[in-house]
Amino acid sequence: MMDAKEKWSRIRIRIIGSLFAVFFVLTSARAFYLQIIKRDDWIKLAGRQHQKVIPLTPARGTIYDGTGTPLAVSIEVDSCFAEPSVIEDPKAAAAALTPLLGMPTDVIEKKLSGKKSFAWLRRQVNPDLARKIRELDINGIGFVKETRRFYPNSEVAAHVIGFTGLDPEGLEGIELKYNAQILGNTGYMVTERDALGRDIALMGTVIKKASKGYNITLTLDKNVQYIADKELAKAVTASRAVGGIALVMEPATGRILALSSYPTFNPNAFRRYPHDNLRNRAVADSFEPGSTMKAFLIASALEEKVIGPNDTFHCEGGSYAIGGRVIHDTHKYGTLRVPEILKYSSNIGAAKIGSRLGPERLFENLKKFGFGEKSGIDLPGEVVGYLRDRSRWYGIDLATISFGQGISVSSVQLIAAISAVANGGLLMKPYIVEKISDDSGTTVRQFSPQIRRRVISSGTSRIMAKMMEGITTEGGTGLNAAVDGYRVAGKTGTAQKVDPLTKCYSASKRTASFIGFVPAEQPRLAILVVIDEPKTSSYGGVVAAPAFREIALQSLCYLKVPPTVPFKAKKPDPEEPREKTPEQNASVAEAGIDEGTAGALMPNFHGMSIRQVMRYMEKNSLNVKILGSGRAVEQNPRPGLRIGPADQVWVKFVPSA
Amino acid sequence: MIDRRLFTNFDWGLLLLVLVIAAVGVVNISSATASYTLTETSYTIRQVYWVLIGLSLVVLVCSIDYHVLEDIAYWMYGTVALLLLVVLVAGKSSMGATRWLHLGFISFQPSELMKIVIIMVYARYFDNIPVSGAMSFKDLLNPFLLLAVPAIMIMKQPDLGTAILVVLIAFSMILYVGVRLRTVVALLLSAVPVVLLGWKFYLRDYQKLRVLNFLSPERDPLGSGYHIIQSKIAVGSGGLTGKGFLQGTQAQLRFLPEQHTDFAFSVFSEEWGFAGCLVMLVLYLSLILWGINIARRCNDNFGSLMAVGVTAMLAWHIIINVGMVIGLFPVVGVPLPLFSYGGTSMVTSMIGLGILLNIRMRRFMF
Repeated sequence: MMDAKEKWSRIRIRIIGSLFAVFFVLTSARAFYLQIIKRDDWIKLAGRQHQKVIPLTPARGTIYDGTGTPLAVSIEVDSCFAEPSVIEDPKAAAAALTPLLGMPTDVIEKKLSGKKSFAWLRRQVNPDLARKIRELDINGIGFVKETRRFYPNSEVAAHVIGFTGLDPEGLEGIELKYNAQILGNTGYMVTERDALGRDIALMGTVIKKASKGYNITLTLDKNVQYIADKELAKAVTASRAVGGIALVMEPATGRILALSSYPTFNPNAFRRYPHDNLRNRAVADSFEPGSTMKAFLIASALEEKVIGPNDTFHCEGGSYAIGGRVIHDTHKYGTLRVPEILKYSSNIGAAKIGSRLGPERLFENLKKFGFGEKSGIDLPGEVVGYLRDRSRWYGIDLATISFGQGISVSSVQLIAAISAVANGGLLMKPYIVEKISDDSGTTVRQFSPQIRRRVISSGTSRIMAKMMEGITTEGGTGLNAAVDGYRVAGKTGTAQKVDPLTKCYSASKRTASFIGFVPAEQPRLAILVVIDEPKTSSYGGVVAAPAFREIALQSLCYLKVPPTVPFKAKKPDPEEPREKTPEQNASVAEAGIDEGTAGALMPNFHGMSIRQVMRYMEKNSLNVKILGSGRAVEQNPRPGLRIGPADQVWVKFVPSA
Repeated sequence: MIDRRLFTNFDWGLLLLVLVIAAVGVVNISSATASYTLTETSYTIRQVYWVLIGLSLVVLVCSIDYHVLEDIAYWMYGTVALLLLVVLVAGKSSMGATRWLHLGFISFQPSELMKIVIIMVYARYFDNIPVSGAMSFKDLLNPFLLLAVPAIMIMKQPDLGTAILVVLIAFSMILYVGVRLRTVVALLLSAVPVVLLGWKFYLRDYQKLRVLNFLSPERDPLGSGYHIIQSKIAVGSGGLTGKGFLQGTQAQLRFLPEQHTDFAFSVFSEEWGFAGCLVMLVLYLSLILWGINIARRCNDNFGSLMAVGVTAMLAWHIIINVGMVIGLFPVVGVPLPLFSYGGTSMVTSMIGLGILLNIRMRRFMF
């Protein structure tokens, strides 16, 4: 009896439990219906409500260079809107606004009429216009603060920073790559009471302020960047080339100190420039490297121990038949030692080293140097270049790839590879963002040097540095790259361009380049200069090397890297000014300027303080215009030239770091 | 009185489940109130305090043998009924209803206490008067009287939500004890004229609107249908995986009404989607089945009755709140236990859970 009753109560309790379970199943089904099946309808309804909610441009974080100078900032500006339902006399209002906005009256009137609760009149207006519109004092015309991107240094590092559209999305460069970090949260403005008629927020009240995104600090140094920009522009215009690239990197870390691409643009007004100017050639363009490849060929051959640093090769007197084709050298050479092959840039010597190394090992080593793969630099649009797979090397390919034809590379790959040669054999990942920090300055993410792999031994690296130093000495192809006071290791490159129409090598179009590092014995800077289609001369040693020298000299000066060898051209000595300073291999142009007047010779002021310069000029009773402050980085006339009475004499100084 | 077995029998699993639900609730409140500008302590912090207070109540309730509740049931009933009377005479008004009683340092709603007390008094009544398991009208007379007095007073406040809950809890317990089938049918039939008369003479206009709007919310989307539509938009636009924490547009732009209290689950559903919904529903179902299980395995009648009552209280809160949020039921101001912001709801739920834990850990003792 008791048992039966108990059993019943147990059953009833189960029934109650099941009823609850059934309800939960029903609820889940209902949620499924709402959230999965009918989802789109509800989203549409939600969206319709949001039209009463105007999103506000979020502020973007600041982009700084390595020294803390802001390169991209967000400034607060007024955006002007209308509230058509409030405006009493759209016609009169439109008439008053026409001269200020510069839009046809009927267009404005249309915006101002109707039952709409909100319409943008003009976003991001300048303060002057905003003041004038405010003075009209029209009921129903309002302003809200939005932010606009501003680049205080104009062209400097334009390609690295990139730019943003009117909506604050990053479109290029760091602005694009790190858009998610730089972009803050969108704010909202509710323009009318909410659906219930409750006062959620009154007209124009910002209910959620747009918040600022993270700040980015770059590895770039604004001053080095400025030097690279300026010298690259000079080299490109002087050689009447179509464009160029200059890159400065710290070989030990992979930090990019400067990245220039020419032609350039002003990111504050990027729409006014042709599309070609906006492209960051340093990462987006690949080209045939030409002879610069020989450095990597010889490094590979030394590393694989198929040649010794003092082996000799016969260079066949300038022409050499291989694989059914004949390859040539610019000069006729007999037997050359390995360092000489590099120094004189003998194609035939390179081909012979290549054949001793063999295609497998050359291919594997080039891959190890990072060719044919992305360098991983944190900029958008990087190309991989073209390193054909080993299985598709035919006939003459081994020989031509040995001296840099039939392979294409990007500038970033090239400078990363030369840095590996410079820093003891480690291939570093090039990087351009140093850290990401929040508005209060707290570091959110710190980037540090990243080793990708060991490419060559430190022994091979030392031998290579020594060999490449030969190129900038007397008789080498890169003599123009020699920097007074420092040992320079480098390699010139001159490559024929492939004509996109004929798909053959063009007869006239060349890519001239110079790549190297200074000081050779303990490299602080790796520098690459590429000049695209120079007209005055096609040789890297002539058009690219001088720019390399200028960038190296001025940057070393600015970075206070002490000279490692005695100056060839002495520091200005007031007692006996030197007769002639062959600062450059005497070029015709310079000889013409030298008018033989009795004036003093312009000394080399690089690295001197204002006081030192003044003292010297005073002794020689010369007038000099002092620009800036700090250490001298630039001067006119150039060192060693006679100063004419009509000459503009000035010395430019940059604050030392 | 404190026995080592009490610890070994303590239901840590249930406590963990409660803590998980409460933690999700706190996180959700931080999102629901993210757009509020507050000068005082934030809702999130205050909810954490309420959870802690609730947990200490659990400990307190557990430390007293629940059989004591049987002895004091009628005393409690009398006291709370008296308090309800006081509220009607001298309570404080808030939002058009008089529910609160101020005792100098603390304010509370006696109607809320009645949810627990009706469970106690029913458990005591049905434990002492052994019925056959199939009650007739005559058997139900006393229980109905016990129910009607507080229910009518609560309705007078007026607090329809709480009144409905007290009635539902009581009915659940009556069903558990057992009623004759024809009695049930007869009651249901007699309910029809009661409902009609209630509609005509008792329900206030706003309450009528709520029912009408539930039946067709599109009647007045900007007016009183607003709550249902907004909640459905928020839940529906959440989709499968939701818009993400703090990313719910409806919640962050404050289109949702009462979004940290009664509609907290809407915020959760918008930001975590169907997947999140399902997880929460499974957690709540586990809680209910856990309670049922405690009732089933309890060896004394009073304990079983108490466990069923408490479980029914939690279950009806969940059902009415979730049903309202997803548009299954009309809008009745009922919070989601452990999840909605609010001290009163947290205290009541935690006392109930304390009773469940109490019964569970003393199931081998007499």
